Amino acid sequence: MSSIERSGIPSVFIIFEDQDKVWEEACRLNGVPNIRRVWGSRHIPGPEDVPTWIDDLMDALVRPLTDVEKNPPEWKVENPRYIFEGTLLEAIDFFNQETPIPQLYNNAPVMKFTDGLPIVPPTEELVEKMLKGTSHKPDEIITYQADRRLGDRVQQMGSSGIKGDPVHFMPMRRTATVEKIATIGVMAGCKPEYMPVLLAIAEAGGGCGDGRGGGAYCISGPIAKEIGMNFDTNVLGGTNRANRSIGRAAELMWKCLGENIPNVTNAGVWGNSLNNCFPENDDALPEGWATLREEFDFGKDESCIVPIHMGFSVRNTEFMPGGYRELQKSGHGGIARRLGVKGIQGPHNFMEYFIDHLWADGEGGKTFFLLPEMARDMKAYGFNTKDDVYEWLYKKSFMTMKEYRTHQSPDVWTNGWRSIEPTSGKPWLELPEDYMVPAVADPFMNCIIVTGGGEEMALWTGGRGRESAVGIDAWR
Amino acid sequence: MAEKDKVYKFLNPIGIQEPVEQHGLAPRLDKLDGKNITLSIGAGGEQGILIPLRKMLPERYPQVNWNISFAAPHATKAGSIALTEEEQKTTDALIRGVVW
Repeated sequence: MSSIERSGIPSVFIIFEDQDKVWEEACRLNGVPNIRRVWGSRHIPGPEDVPTWIDDLMDALVRPLTDVEKNPPEWKVENPRYIFEGTLLEAIDFFNQETPIPQLYNNAPVMKFTDGLPIVPPTEELVEKMLKGTSHKPDEIITYQADRRLGDRVQQMGSSGIKGDPVHFMPMRRTATVEKIATIGVMAGCKPEYMPVLLAIAEAGGGCGDGRGGGAYCISGPIAKEIGMNFDTNVLGGTNRANRSIGRAAELMWKCLGENIPNVTNAGVWGNSLNNCFPENDDALPEGWATLREEFDFGKDESCIVPIHMGFSVRNTEFMPGGYRELQKSGHGGIARRLGVKGIQGPHNFMEYFIDHLWADGEGGKTFFLLPEMARDMKAYGFNTKDDVYEWLYKKSFMTMKEYRTHQSPDVWTNGWRSIEPTSGKPWLELPEDYMVPAVADPFMNCIIVTGGGEEMALWTGGRGRESAVGIDAWR
Repeated sequence: MAEKDKVYKFLNPIGIQEPVEQHGLAPRLDKLDGKNITLSIGAGGEQGILIPLRKMLPERYPQVNWNISFAAPHATKAGSIALTEEEQKTTDALIRGVVW
């Protein structure tokens, strides 16, 4: 948007009123503050709404510029190494500061420096101790340790570059040093030995996105055991320090490094709950099933983080753990009845239970969390590799164009169905109603993580995106 | 000095913000008559506003030479570009519906 104004073409944009502050920040960040805009309505029908501002829209193209619009003030920035000096009690008050933000329905403040939970005040001494967890120098800028070219959209989200490029943290496109990651590690309650993981998360963009739903990270590799991560019961819950504090550090990176402030730097989003960082259970993988790191071409002795599109939450199909066990042990219960295997002992493919509804209201790959015994059942059923499962899911995702046209998201992704459908190479609008299209663009967008223990439930979340895994060992 | 009175320095967790040079807005049009104005419709978005808008603009401002364009698909770099290079050569002003 700024490039248009800078090329000498006057412009005006249509946004929503509640996005105005975010608009200001985005304009300033792009070097042309206060690009003109009018507000459309979120709820008034267009034919009634448009006439109320259409003349303002046109006026914005001819109304003479103000002095400030012609000559905006310099954006003065300061980046002090220390943010506060005082006693521990004073520091607690300092880091607990709140600030008001423009909201739609109330004026609840947000925290200036934290996620709302108490933090460990990052004294020099504690940060110095944290820095012992890596060989990297405190003043080293976080850069890509390997090429990470993820496509245009992801690039816009600030997590793409070539080896040696600085990582930019969104939404404010900032950079960070190793010391800042250690500072955030202290605040989140991490131990020094977590530093390589924290730095890899920083390299991956530090939890940054556009705020609709959070990113999460799965750890694959020996480091998970080295730092005492939990891959057993309650893997996604509280109680394990590494799982929880590393996940929290990722959230604080987004908050502090990228300065993610709802309705100020990030427009009208739901946000998301705190996601644990969680490891896969290498030991429980069925023979022939690759580790996550091997799926991303890392060696078995290496460690990496795998970004997971957690969306708003982990989702599940409603069946009781006992229902799963009865299916496999004896072919009893509702799942067996739906699958037509009543009275027949397993192994059965439990995903058949919900497969017909998996893409009923959405598209894209799915990431499944499988308990070790569920993975073993899938292997015994005949899925010799994870790829076999991914391929099966892909094939099952096909639906007719008639059905696909009733999905909403493709309205946007296909640009109002004006673009080309990939499997046919033809425009979407030219395809007959009975043409079959996949809801998952590529089998590899599906993902399986073997982890957890206890309840046999079908849990999944958003699928694998274009993000590649990020190596941890380079940050040791 | 009691421990509670000990003074510490606390490190700054905030990301490093590089200064960005600030530029003024482009000069406005002297008039609308005869100008080439592009309405660039953002990928996919907010048809409830943009369909009536693209109908009303030419009706209400017939003195303008209207160019109605549709952005490339959402989530692509092209989809974030409001004007093509060719349009930039011929467009006097831009209206962009970024809501989605």
